[in-house]
Amino acid sequence: MQSGPFLCVLRTRDSRVMTSSMILSYVTFVYFTGFILYLLMMVMGKKAFGTAATLVSLAGLVAHSIGIVLRWTESYRLGIGHAPLSNLYESLIFFSWAVTFFYLVVEWRTKNRVIGTFVIPISFLALAYASFSPSVNSRIQPLVPALKSNWLIAHVITCFFSYAAFALSFGLSIIYLVKLKNVNTGRTSPFLNRIPDCRLLDELNYQMVIIGFLMLTLGIVTGSVWAHSAWGTYWGWDPKETWSLITWLIYASVIHVRVARGWEGKRTAVLCIVGFACVLFTYFGVNYLAGLHSYAKS
Amino acid sequence: MNETMSCGSNRKSGPGIFWRFFSSVKLTIVLLIILAVVSVIGTVIPQREASIDFAMGMDPRLFQIFMSLDLFDIYHSLLFRIIIGFLVMNLVVCSIDRFPVTWKLFSHIPSPDKSRVFEGISGEQTCILSGNNKIILDRIERFLRKRYGRVFSKKGDSYSSFFVQTGRFSRFGVYLVHLSILLILAGALAGSLFGFEGYVKIIEGDKTDKILTRGNRQQKKLGFDIRCDKFTVSYYKNGMPKEYKSELTFIVNGKEVEKGTLLVNHPLYFRGITFYQASYGTIPGKKILLRALANGKSFSFYVSLKDHVHLPDNGAELHLEDIRENIAGIGPAALISILPKHGNRVSFWIFKNPGLAKSRLPEPMLKSSKFNPSAFRPYTFFLEGVNTVCYTGLQVSKDPGVPIVWAGCIILVTGLFVTFFISHRRIWVRAENHKGGIRLSVAGMANKDPAGLHRYLLKLVNNIRKYV
Repeated sequence: MQSGPFLCVLRTRDSRVMTSSMILSYVTFVYFTGFILYLLMMVMGKKAFGTAATLVSLAGLVAHSIGIVLRWTESYRLGIGHAPLSNLYESLIFFSWAVTFFYLVVEWRTKNRVIGTFVIPISFLALAYASFSPSVNSRIQPLVPALKSNWLIAHVITCFFSYAAFALSFGLSIIYLVKLKNVNTGRTSPFLNRIPDCRLLDELNYQMVIIGFLMLTLGIVTGSVWAHSAWGTYWGWDPKETWSLITWLIYASVIHVRVARGWEGKRTAVLCIVGFACVLFTYFGVNYLAGLHSYAKS
Repeated sequence: MNETMSCGSNRKSGPGIFWRFFSSVKLTIVLLIILAVVSVIGTVIPQREASIDFAMGMDPRLFQIFMSLDLFDIYHSLLFRIIIGFLVMNLVVCSIDRFPVTWKLFSHIPSPDKSRVFEGISGEQTCILSGNNKIILDRIERFLRKRYGRVFSKKGDSYSSFFVQTGRFSRFGVYLVHLSILLILAGALAGSLFGFEGYVKIIEGDKTDKILTRGNRQQKKLGFDIRCDKFTVSYYKNGMPKEYKSELTFIVNGKEVEKGTLLVNHPLYFRGITFYQASYGTIPGKKILLRALANGKSFSFYVSLKDHVHLPDNGAELHLEDIRENIAGIGPAALISILPKHGNRVSFWIFKNPGLAKSRLPEPMLKSSKFNPSAFRPYTFFLEGVNTVCYTGLQVSKDPGVPIVWAGCIILVTGLFVTFFISHRRIWVRAENHKGGIRLSVAGMANKDPAGLHRYLLKLVNNIRKYV
């Protein structure tokens, strides 16, 4: 965005504020280690790996939280002063944090570690993308006028909590389909046997979907209120708005599938996978379409 | 224990085909998915104002098809409205269809003595209370009354039964959600019927009472004047914009009624109309700086729009007819016409960047006198500068549906919370005579979250024991 001398000034200023970004890039490797440990637990069937995986992920989450808080204070030290939720880098960091956080809560509540094998890689990938992709800018930048609103924090947090819940639902749906195929064909392996039964997966998935759905609704409503004061209309069919509505409609159909007898189970899992694809498109794909949410691109 | 949600599809007394069609949850699912798919189309094909460039490059036959299907304004198309109409019908019919069942679940009080629910309960759901039976029973009932309000009991010789419930209003959560959807749609409809959306550019220092409406692009009178007293942009040290600020004055019948500062995210309201800081820019002002070269001598002078100057030497009148900010990507240009004392009027365009004009304009145009800066002999004219003025771009809208939409949003979130996270828990307590005391058992049924119910029952047993 900037040219010549501006860029140099920012680079030199950056070198002082990179502590948070450095911590966050190390957390990427911590999550990767966690993922490997979850995988080893599944393949080898040793409980010790599972315990280690949980501890490593938890340590990652603590470091991750410190990184976010540090970035927040750094932005104040730079005289910019805003919550770290204002661009693609910061949103990826928060998304990854929310996924890990949600997952560890679920693991603690259900005492089941299998899901970690399918969910911790999502945290890892999001963080790796944020930290190592050359197209993602990790600089702390001041807020453009459109983002200067009290609704920023509420809007972004609710949206990303919903994305995180849907990420978990995606993981659970994949496991569900794997398990269902295994049940139907009668083939067994130690790996498959460690997956909890379909009914439990379906129930857990539904819990994630309703949390995600409520959060997404809040995200869309707070976004609407914000858009109403910033753009002059609570709904303008901006591609990101529209895609969030599409996501909302898909998950609304998931919830209704549970009420319609005989449609539950497999259909829910498939729709949840489609729903998560919509989440990803709302998050990343929309940037290839023109629209008003351009600050989320870089 | 978990009960499944009633689906309503088991009505036997012959509802019509219309009713059966619209009371189906499967229809809801299909409609939600269709609506999602149609919405996708609108994000792929450019819509409304954005579609013009796209449509121009299209095959005319394809364009016809797109137009007839309203694909360039799909969210306002008949197709989209029909789908929403179906969804509304579906929602209303389903709500009516299921209401009797919901009402029964809400109001029905089951027998306090129901042995079926106690079958196969876990050991943790029972406990032994020792002491005087009569006092213990009394304490149990008092505890339940304090906690749940109404207690239904049935006293027997060998045992007594109690029934209490909590969260039964949550049965109506789903009605709140569906009502809120109708409210939001009603709000949107009210906005599109009784509101408008428009845009206006006001030059610093200028005032206007007309705006350009969106969609039909017509001028609309506001009934009062808006004056932009000042527009400023401030920047951060790194060059990023920090703030756009317009100082506005609202004038009614020539009287200044209100002044206000308009910022992004901080709209101004005046007489039911809302003003938003949408954009800003510069447009050519009304004055240009010209240089004329004749016989090796050059001189510069200003000329204003719709005004004229006399050229020295021959006294011809030079009129400034038009100023354009950018013609065909070449940049600023001015149309001047010269009326000599004797002879015909000559008029031609002068570009600020003649080199670029030479490379961009087609040959025949360059040859014509219309684009020749030397068309009036012996002068050659150069456009040295166009003075620019700043304007502020305001989004103007009136939407009486907004309060209805906000009410809908609040009800939607409340309704979702109630529907998902509050369950109707029905609890049976049985107190059996046991040697030297009472054996207490607790069982329950809930319409959701069986694990939560189990935890709740265990806590309840503990609390009763402590209280007694």
